[in-house]
Amino acid sequence: MSVAATRGSRMEKWYRRLLALYPKDHRREHAEEMVGVLLAADGDAQARAAKPVAWALRFGQHTADSADLVGGALRIRGRIALNRLKRAHWLSWTVRDQRWSDALAVVSVVAPLLLLVAALTEFRIPRAVASSITGHPHWELTATLGLADLPMAAGAPGVILLVFLRLRRLAGLGALATAIGQVAAGAVPAFAGYADPAVAFTVLLSGTAAVALLLSPGPDRGLALLTRSGTALVGAAALILGGFSVGGDVWFGPGNDGAPTQSDNVGGTVAGLPADLLIAAVLVGVAAACLRAPVSRRVLVLLAIPVIPYAFLWQEKLAVDLFGPPGGGSAIISSSIPLLYLPPLLLASLVLFGTWFARRRAGERDRQVASATA
Amino acid sequence: MQEPTFLILTALAAGAQHGYGIMSDVARISDGRVRLRAGTLYAALDRLKADGLVTGDKEEIVDGRLRRYYRITDEGTAELAAEVGRLRANAAVAASRLGLAGGTA
Repeated sequence: MSVAATRGSRMEKWYRRLLALYPKDHRREHAEEMVGVLLAADGDAQARAAKPVAWALRFGQHTADSADLVGGALRIRGRIALNRLKRAHWLSWTVRDQRWSDALAVVSVVAPLLLLVAALTEFRIPRAVASSITGHPHWELTATLGLADLPMAAGAPGVILLVFLRLRRLAGLGALATAIGQVAAGAVPAFAGYADPAVAFTVLLSGTAAVALLLSPGPDRGLALLTRSGTALVGAAALILGGFSVGGDVWFGPGNDGAPTQSDNVGGTVAGLPADLLIAAVLVGVAAACLRAPVSRRVLVLLAIPVIPYAFLWQEKLAVDLFGPPGGGSAIISSSIPLLYLPPLLLASLVLFGTWFARRRAGERDRQVASATA
Repeated sequence: MQEPTFLILTALAAGAQHGYGIMSDVARISDGRVRLRAGTLYAALDRLKADGLVTGDKEEIVDGRLRRYYRITDEGTAELAAEVGRLRANAAVAASRLGLAGGTA
């Protein structure tokens, strides 16, 4: 074998090694002709070169071709990746079951609304507004924004704003960030911590809002499904749940002396037992109204996930109203992290498992029908 | 349109050519200024094929090596003609302004 032939074979091996960087389809289509072109260009360069500079020219050509091959592989792979990214419908997976999809769409309206009400009441804004209107001396804005409040203070209005701007996916990501922010803030011992039912309520509510916004067709569909009476029910539930979620004193007023005390955080002495019954009546009314249709039943299940910790708030207030403030009496069930978070997570898992099982069963049924008709 | 794309389409506008023929023609058209290499050429051909501006033509074996010819499509011809129109209009404006600048200086 001549020197040129040996060198040609060596270069061919090298080029083929570099061509391995190309996607398989491209290699199958073009590898042979590319090797031919590379070797032809190499031979052409040698033919043009005068002998003293032939080696340098060949080396330069070889290096430049190698670099160009690598660049070409990167360009093609980059283009394929970009096309895949463009084709992928990021965060727009919708739940296949129409009823769950519709239920999530309704929740994508309700959950951000509840979140906003919870944030407004957390920062006692309704009370401050009422104070400015009535001139009540004890209802001034007492809450100050701390680091732990930032996720809710920025997240809740941000999510609603994005929903209004019809940026569903961004709103979903915003709700997710709000949930994560609250979890992160809860990890700081100085802050309220996870064991607070109000924190559990808003964390789970943000998470539910995120799932609903990201996995459903969105608030437009949800609003189309919500009837006028449905909207009124949601509004009432939002006021009650949001208002009470951060302590009974928000809607029902503080104790008689007006000074914020420990008992104010768990129950208002002004409203007392009637308020407990009103809250329970609204919740039962909303639940009963939701039981009528398959979609609203699913809405009820989805909203139950964040509302479970709220039940602890309610029974704490009930305990105070029935037996007196903590110290004299005590909560019927003391809230703890497992009690606050495990039941909602269990419910969410049941929903996931149930939908997966239903889909599997539907798939099997379809296969049976297909084989029967075949 | 990027210059290599313009030059490849221009090379193919005269008739179907194989890879090495396109490389040589591009060098000739650009008066040696643009020298396409295999990696760049086949990345461009891949994109042009995907965009429907270029398509594969006949294949032949020469000296034991596969040689595939490419030809410009109708869409590619229209795209090249549009680009020529744009370049011509821009060149006319540039020439006219240079002329004005020359006249007033």
